[in-house]
Amino acid sequence: MRHPNRATLALHAGRDLGPFRRWTTARHLAHCQACREEVARFDEMREQLPRLAELPDIPWNRLAAEIKANVRLGLAAGECVRPAEMPLRGGLLVGRGGVAGWRAAVAFATVVLLVGGCMVLERPWPVAVAQAASSVQSTADGIQGQTGGQMLGLMNRGAQRVTYTLGAEGSMGARYTDPETGYVTINTVYVQ
Amino acid sequence: MYSKTKNRVAILALAGAAAVLAQDAPLANNSVNINLPADSPVALLGISTGSSRATARGPALLLDLNLSLTLRNISANRIHGVTLRVVSQEVALGGVGSVFQPGLNIGPGEAFPVHISTKLMRPAQMAGGPLVQVNLDGVLFQDLSFYGPDQLHSRRIMTASEMEAQRDRAAFKRLLAQGGNPALKDAIVKILVRQDSIPQLEGRIVRGHTVTNAALAAATPARQEQFALVEFPDSPIQLMKGSAVVSGNEARSPAIEVRNRSNKAVKYVELGWVLTDPAGRAYMAGSLPSTGAFSLPAGGATEVRQENTLSFSANGQPFSIQRVSGFVNQVEFADGQVWVPNRRNIDDSPLLQQVLPPSVEEERLANLYVNKGIAALVEELKKY
Repeated sequence: MRHPNRATLALHAGRDLGPFRRWTTARHLAHCQACREEVARFDEMREQLPRLAELPDIPWNRLAAEIKANVRLGLAAGECVRPAEMPLRGGLLVGRGGVAGWRAAVAFATVVLLVGGCMVLERPWPVAVAQAASSVQSTADGIQGQTGGQMLGLMNRGAQRVTYTLGAEGSMGARYTDPETGYVTINTVYVQ
Repeated sequence: MYSKTKNRVAILALAGAAAVLAQDAPLANNSVNINLPADSPVALLGISTGSSRATARGPALLLDLNLSLTLRNISANRIHGVTLRVVSQEVALGGVGSVFQPGLNIGPGEAFPVHISTKLMRPAQMAGGPLVQVNLDGVLFQDLSFYGPDQLHSRRIMTASEMEAQRDRAAFKRLLAQGGNPALKDAIVKILVRQDSIPQLEGRIVRGHTVTNAALAAATPARQEQFALVEFPDSPIQLMKGSAVVSGNEARSPAIEVRNRSNKAVKYVELGWVLTDPAGRAYMAGSLPSTGAFSLPAGGATEVRQENTLSFSANGQPFSIQRVSGFVNQVEFADGQVWVPNRRNIDDSPLLQQVLPPSVEEERLANLYVNKGIAALVEELKKY
């Protein structure tokens, strides 16, 4: 049996294959346990991805507008305190007496800051403090605590009804009837 | 579009990395260490790691452990609860877990199963030794006596659970005596309906505060929200006032002033809190426990406070917190006795009726009814 390669399985897990490839891959998966397990693992990873990139709900456009407004305000304030009109002569960075050069440097730095800021806002990455902090949360099939690169999760796979409880001291519990034992079970993960 | 592309790239990257780095391997026998003390009231009869596997992913080791244990009660008492402590390594970060099996009724010499499904990720280069350690944290007996190191406060947790179980079994027995099988059946059906109708919140807790720069703080303005207090007349703890800092779907630094109106010193207080959205729908959010060396003398007052940040979502969407309510959920006295709300406390509060899920014992007995019928349920109640 010829197996699809890992990239194809990964794209299938992400529902990103075209219709024909999706159909042929689905047909293969129907008969191949190993590939089904591989797709299940990619599914798990896909579930983790949004959480890794999770960000608070922040109005980026408003923040960008505020930064622009602050930059304009700074430039206007600089204009107010400027002693007299001095025509810009010479090169962009080196003017007569160095004044024009200084202004140009500030303007250039401001533009760099603005562009850099906009790039960050457009393609944000997780706030370092929030991601580095210890946390505990519910997932699709369990609860997991995370500190840095280490994680501990207690899973409740196959459970029909799960009741989650948060302890404000830094714990999360999941209560369910274990399908394997038939006993009510309470898993708790504590943040350290 | 960007999100889809990002996901596609990430998945392809993961696929590539997995192809190069992933080394799936079954767990060796010494990967899991089950520690039961020499004088433990339970003995390990059997262990199966089933489909457990360890996978190296770059510098990290991802462990998927599916552990089935069979324990035997080797004490002279009936066991009503067991808690096992699950850690990756004693020194490892990333959290500690516990698996608590309440509602047991295991006689001397009888065996019972415990199932632990855990997922771990840790640096692959971490020093040797077992990947997972499972330690006995506590065993609760029928007479409420306790055995175990109690590192996770299992004694209090299991005792409170047993008190609730006794309370609920007594209520079922009263119903049975007054209205026979039909009354008992009605009560169980109501529990099943409540089980399905209680709205659920998903949550996340981050140690300390998540927002550290002024721009982000300004983007989600916070407000001090006062707790609406639900009072129980017979509660040993009176709630005075309380508040939490609320910002969008986040609540942080919840704090409630409490007064001990009993004549005994209290060493632990746990408050339940309920969140309401702008549409007036209420959800059970969790608990606000006292921590550390808490001690409240008879007649004394103090504040129960936590500094963590809790964020909530419902049905995958951020939950907008409109109102916060609090009630006393559990009290442990200095002498080890535990108080839990009685049935009337819960039945008389429309808010709690709306948000509290069935108790552990209600869930257990409802399962029994669903799987084995009313006769088995009646027999079960007779055992206590």
